[in-house]
Amino acid sequence: MKDPYEVLGVERSASLDDIRTRYRKLAKKLHPDLNPGNKKAEEQFKEVSSAYDLLSDPDKRARFDRGEIDATGAERPRQRFYRDFADADHAYTDASGFEDFAAGDDIIAEILRRQAQARANAPGADLHYHLAVDFLDAVNGATLRLSVPNGETLEVKIPPGVETGQVLRLRGKGAPGRGTGKPGDALVEITVNPHRFFIREGDDIHVELPVTLTEAVLGGEVAVPTPTGTVMMRVPKNSNTGATLRLRGKGVRRHGGGHGDELVRLKVMLPPAPDPELEKFLSGWEAGRSYDPRRGMQP
Amino acid sequence: MTTISRQEFLLRARLDQTTLEAWVTEEWLIPGGSAEEPAFTDADLARAALIHDLKRDLDVNDAGIGVILGLIDQVHGLRRTLAALLRDARVRDGRATPTRDA
Repeated sequence: MKDPYEVLGVERSASLDDIRTRYRKLAKKLHPDLNPGNKKAEEQFKEVSSAYDLLSDPDKRARFDRGEIDATGAERPRQRFYRDFADADHAYTDASGFEDFAAGDDIIAEILRRQAQARANAPGADLHYHLAVDFLDAVNGATLRLSVPNGETLEVKIPPGVETGQVLRLRGKGAPGRGTGKPGDALVEITVNPHRFFIREGDDIHVELPVTLTEAVLGGEVAVPTPTGTVMMRVPKNSNTGATLRLRGKGVRRHGGGHGDELVRLKVMLPPAPDPELEKFLSGWEAGRSYDPRRGMQP
Repeated sequence: MTTISRQEFLLRARLDQTTLEAWVTEEWLIPGGSAEEPAFTDADLARAALIHDLKRDLDVNDAGIGVILGLIDQVHGLRRTLAALLRDARVRDGRATPTRDA
């Protein structure tokens, strides 16, 4: 507790009138109701008030001067300030001071209208959010956390198979209601990020799978990525670029149950560097010359 | 908000009946309920304490008190609207980023 003379900024010899004048000056500046929103003002005002309580009472002041009581001896319990009710709806609520600058401004006009409409037990407003979801989380489902502007974190359960544009409703996670009104909902609009190689079409997943010339000609087992992990797939002998193989049930979960498929489109890839052995073989390969894949393309 | 009867209000606000009537006539206080049985709230109590402070400690005269109360109510209204606007603006560009569940 600070020295009450210091708090008021008066000499120890100050007269009661000096003290009163000084207190009024400080109180006018620091009264919490004249400083809504300024937390420091309340602290300072309390200090100034209790200092004044002590020094304005000649008896208490004398005892303090003699060291019989300390500066805390005089603190009076303070009731709640009127500004503590600034957000409450009461008879004094006055929102009439901004019609001038709200005119012609839709956003402000809308907020004012909403305020005016807000009733004692009105339910809270729904709040809208956007959430970008990774492709695989969207296909497989996931639980994500969404940090919202008021500092809270919402847990968002992404159901498997969610699509861009879908809106998830989190009940009761919107703005709080008034009185007994229920809180609103949080509405989370989903955007699914594209994947590096998976493309979704309906419930099916499309992927283009590069295969070697050897695999294409001789066939064999190849590893294929799917949203739930890698699976082995048999490539038939003599599979061409564009050949599409179907992995049943490896697509997106269907609404009514079951899954779509993954469609694997093969793409034959030559080795990046020229290969003398392959060149030698092809120069002497008769069928390579007689087959004309562009036969149907004469205009 | 719970309501406070006239008797309790007079006691807690350290007012006498005549002063209370004068304050209500001036519309410094606007109790709910009926004229015979007014109902006060904690907000009325805090407002009465403010009026006491203005009169006694800050030496404001009666004409000034009405002016000050009116301005304070306007400031509260403005602050509420400003808060609502800021909240709205934050939600509007509240593209909060998702973090993966641990």
